[in-house]
Amino acid sequence: MVDRLSFYLKRSNWFYSLNPITKLTFIFCLLVTIYSSRNIYPPIYFSILVIILSFLAQIGKEFLKSVMKIALPTAGILFLMQSFMMQLGNSSIFEFFIFKLTIENISYAGISAARIFLMLISFLLFILSTHPSELMTDLTRRGLPGQLAYVVVSTLQILPQMQAKAAAIISAQRSRGLDTEGSLAKRVGALAPLVGPLVFGSLVEVEERAIAIEARAFMSTLKKTSLKEVADTRLDKTLRIALIAITVGAFLWR
Amino acid sequence: MNFKKNFNTMTWVLIPVAIAINVVVGQIVLTLKLPVFLDSIGTVLVGVLAGPWAGALTGLLTSIISGLAINPDSFNWWPVGLFIGFIAGLTAQFGLFRKSWTVVVSGFIIAITSALLSAPIQILAYGGISPWGISFIVSYFMKLNFTTEQSVVLANFISEPIDKIATALLAYSIIQGLSTRFLGRFSQNDLVDKDRRGKLTNIISAGIIIFLLLVLAFKLLSIIPE
Repeated sequence: MVDRLSFYLKRSNWFYSLNPITKLTFIFCLLVTIYSSRNIYPPIYFSILVIILSFLAQIGKEFLKSVMKIALPTAGILFLMQSFMMQLGNSSIFEFFIFKLTIENISYAGISAARIFLMLISFLLFILSTHPSELMTDLTRRGLPGQLAYVVVSTLQILPQMQAKAAAIISAQRSRGLDTEGSLAKRVGALAPLVGPLVFGSLVEVEERAIAIEARAFMSTLKKTSLKEVADTRLDKTLRIALIAITVGAFLWR
Repeated sequence: MNFKKNFNTMTWVLIPVAIAINVVVGQIVLTLKLPVFLDSIGTVLVGVLAGPWAGALTGLLTSIISGLAINPDSFNWWPVGLFIGFIAGLTAQFGLFRKSWTVVVSGFIIAITSALLSAPIQILAYGGISPWGISFIVSYFMKLNFTTEQSVVLANFISEPIDKIATALLAYSIIQGLSTRFLGRFSQNDLVDKDRRGKLTNIISAGIIIFLLLVLAFKLLSIIPE
């Protein structure tokens, strides 16, 4: 299970002071560019760019650690699976049962893996440098209903609590002799004693919480003020327009 | 199909819990190494209790939040969760969540929806072979000279029904275990059977075991080369 829920790291520099929407626009432009052509070079160049950005944002070390833990394994598994399991080309280097390795497969897998790698690391950079509540505050200011922001922020709080609860239930049931590693039938049988207490235990709190937030004008449609202000400077607006212009320009030019 | 009616305070509070249920039960299933996902129980639960729109929102937010908090790969699959929740809510409106055997029908409808949506994603975002277990089935069909598209669709239509019928049955048995007072606060409470709760849980868990055994049978069959 995950050891830390929010990836956010606290820093204060120019990258952090960018508006969340500007960072999302940047990611969106990168992804549109790499998915518009099947070429290995754009994802590689952009990945280097994202890594440089992470160092400029002073989170390079932690960023690379998350890349090693999340992006590299996913992209690596994808590369291996596609190299052996696609059915492109005829000259197989190696063949066994459903597995077949060809040059065409490898080059196809390379492009796919590079794309997924870029997608994962650019989102990692975003979630490392943006606090979820910062994103939600900014989106609420732009017209997102407050209830939606509540759902996202409160899920991020409930999730680690439930994970801790699940871990506690698993060890409690194991200590009672529940078999969680035996035959398939035994493991299926273990599902109910693990899921039951977890689900019913967490649903019990729902009603109390509903009463509590109802008493704080949760469903009110009046405009609310925010304690924290998320800056959206002229630089942000210019950057966003420039990014979209460059992407559209590159698309037309090609 | 009233949009506003789906979202009362109880629904807004249930959604975060449902998303957490999706994620955590998915992780428990991984720990138990079961050959299914079961990562949309919460979505189906909200869809059935609060309505299709609330279910759709739960499914969408599940992929966004697990993308934010666990693995950004989840972002790719957002349409799947969205439609699972929506269709679960719709089937409940047609009364399919009143009896356990109609829940199986509902699970099957949800599975078809889910298969139809995840197949294009698997083809467009990964070219057919994604870094998930289902790709072994895809690869098997490709070896049998099916095209990539056909293989992905076939693999999804094989793996989804088992997973989604088990999901729907689990959501149903959770609803059976909740109090009438609790259920009464949701907009679709008249669509779930409130009289015979508790007794069916055993039959349902037996049903789930049978389905999982079917999965195992399929896996064994697919390992034997022809």
